[in-house]
Amino acid sequence: MKRLLSLYGIAFFAFVYAPILLVVLFSFNANPINMMIWDGFTLDWYRLIFGMETSVTESSTYIDTTPQLYSAVRVSFTVALTTTAISTVFGTILALAVARYRFRLAGLYRALLMVPMIMPDIVLGIALLIFFITIGMNLSMGTIIIGHCTFLISYVFVTVSTRLAQLDLSVEEASADLGASPFQTFRKVTLPSIAPGVMGGGLLAFIISMDDLVITYFIAGTGNTTLPIHIWGMLRRGIKPEINAIATLLLLFSIAVAALGLYLRSRQK
Amino acid sequence: MDTDQNRAVTRTFSLRGLTSSPFERGRTRQTDDVSGFNMPAPLEIIGAHKAFRSPEGATVTALDNVSVKLAQAEFMTLLGPSGCGKTTLLRTISGFETLDAGDILIDGKEVTNQPAFRRPVNTVFQRYALFDHMNVARNVGYALEIAGKSKRDIQARVGEMLELVGLEGLGQRNISQLSGGQQQRVALARALAAKPKLLLLDEPLSALDKNLRQKMQQELKTLQRELGIGFIFVTHDQEEALTMSDRIAVLANGKIQQLGAPDALYTKPANLFTADFLGESNLLPVAIERGVATLADGQNFPCSNESAKGTLLLRPEVLRRTAPSEPSLTVQGTVVASYYQGKDCLVDFESPSLGALKANLREFKSLPERGETVSFYASTSDLHVINEVSS
Repeated sequence: MKRLLSLYGIAFFAFVYAPILLVVLFSFNANPINMMIWDGFTLDWYRLIFGMETSVTESSTYIDTTPQLYSAVRVSFTVALTTTAISTVFGTILALAVARYRFRLAGLYRALLMVPMIMPDIVLGIALLIFFITIGMNLSMGTIIIGHCTFLISYVFVTVSTRLAQLDLSVEEASADLGASPFQTFRKVTLPSIAPGVMGGGLLAFIISMDDLVITYFIAGTGNTTLPIHIWGMLRRGIKPEINAIATLLLLFSIAVAALGLYLRSRQK
Repeated sequence: MDTDQNRAVTRTFSLRGLTSSPFERGRTRQTDDVSGFNMPAPLEIIGAHKAFRSPEGATVTALDNVSVKLAQAEFMTLLGPSGCGKTTLLRTISGFETLDAGDILIDGKEVTNQPAFRRPVNTVFQRYALFDHMNVARNVGYALEIAGKSKRDIQARVGEMLELVGLEGLGQRNISQLSGGQQQRVALARALAAKPKLLLLDEPLSALDKNLRQKMQQELKTLQRELGIGFIFVTHDQEEALTMSDRIAVLANGKIQQLGAPDALYTKPANLFTADFLGESNLLPVAIERGVATLADGQNFPCSNESAKGTLLLRPEVLRRTAPSEPSLTVQGTVVASYYQGKDCLVDFESPSLGALKANLREFKSLPERGETVSFYASTSDLHVINEVSS
């Protein structure tokens, strides 16, 4: 039984990580035509992304890709950082309100806050598009930010709520007992105590915003290509080896963000 | 208020360089009021009433017309079973609950509708409620930090407080690095740092093991005497209450059943609840007529109670195996069980006329055996009759 379970474990990890490992491996494969055949180690695909001199012939690349790629990265970062800031602040405020005050329909309120998380992306995308058209709003970076905030606030709300639920209320009472006004208590006791939750929610929002394709696709309009949309566009012109390099870099970036989150959390304790 | 001069004056009056504001206040008052009689009580509660709505929709009365006045530098314990209203009473003093009716005065000033953070009282919480994200020194100095004191003043006071509770040099530790007993001391130091007029303690020792608990009981009592401020101590542990208090308020069903010194409460309880709650007791119904109380088995003794019926409180430890020379009651019975406990011996026995009884023998040559017939004597001066009959 134990052998069977450990075999299952190996099989499971192979199933999840083999494709990712392949992408990383392919990104170093010198063969420009068939990725499946190893043709020696190269960094050319990375050099290509950054617009450096390579020995690659033009037929195996996405023509003129570097400036567009940079612009997409810039748009993605702008959108992700803005939405993270907005949704972290408002998600935290919502979580505090729902956790601290008793009001009628609090349960319904909580449930409604969860809905954007389980709503199919395609439905949310269409709904947002129709909404923006109805109120006469031109699709722009602003509409992407608004669209992302509508569901990312829910993610922050859930992460912060979990943290708040673990917080001993008597700590806030102790603060008041020692003379701190409600605002001082929030700044000196509540906020530092829930900081790991707020940070976790923020990082989650950042990664999801960076990564979102479906909803963004509907509400981006022209000229506001985010990185996922740009990659999607590249893929429609066939799978070329440099896509592996981009994917590997994205993977590295995500791991770095997650590691940063873990590091900040461990420093909290 | 916290000038060096002021501190130098008071230093001679309190131990270990500690100053407490009620003490300072007391001294300044005494110059214009020699008798000191007009000093306001540290705490006065008048006609406090508080009701809660239970989740089932029923109204639960937590405080029912409670009035109590604390004397200067008094250690008062609120004692009672869980749900008796003692914690609610404490929380209305600290300001976490508001009264439905009644008034609260702290140091002569009405605070009934003041929020907790404006009241000059501090609390030691049941599970300490320390700030995990701050080190020991910042926890202890929190009230001073909030009050906007200078870093130097805070540092000095924190040092004093850590020394007071025996945690010198642990200021830079994290809370999670401390034992339960040490956390308890940090909570105490934190609550005392701002020199409160009154310290509230909500079952602070309930999480400690027995030895540490007894040690802390003595330390707390000593500390209270040194500081000369009022302590309101909530507990459900009657031994703790008897050991530490100047006065005990026994609470049940939101009412103060009896308020008095520990020995008075123990030997002369006013009602059956107090008699039963404090210590072990044998409660026997008596009929009273013209100054004589008669037991079910016909024995009688002088009794000054006015009522026609009453209950005799016979503490297990007043029963002895040898007949005293003064007038006494005799109870006979068959031993059901006996327990050796080192310095004393507990005997459960069954009297044919009075039912199941308990005796606590301090002097005994041999343990009475199960089935043995025994006689116990209680001198009539050790008897106390309560004007209440159990239903």
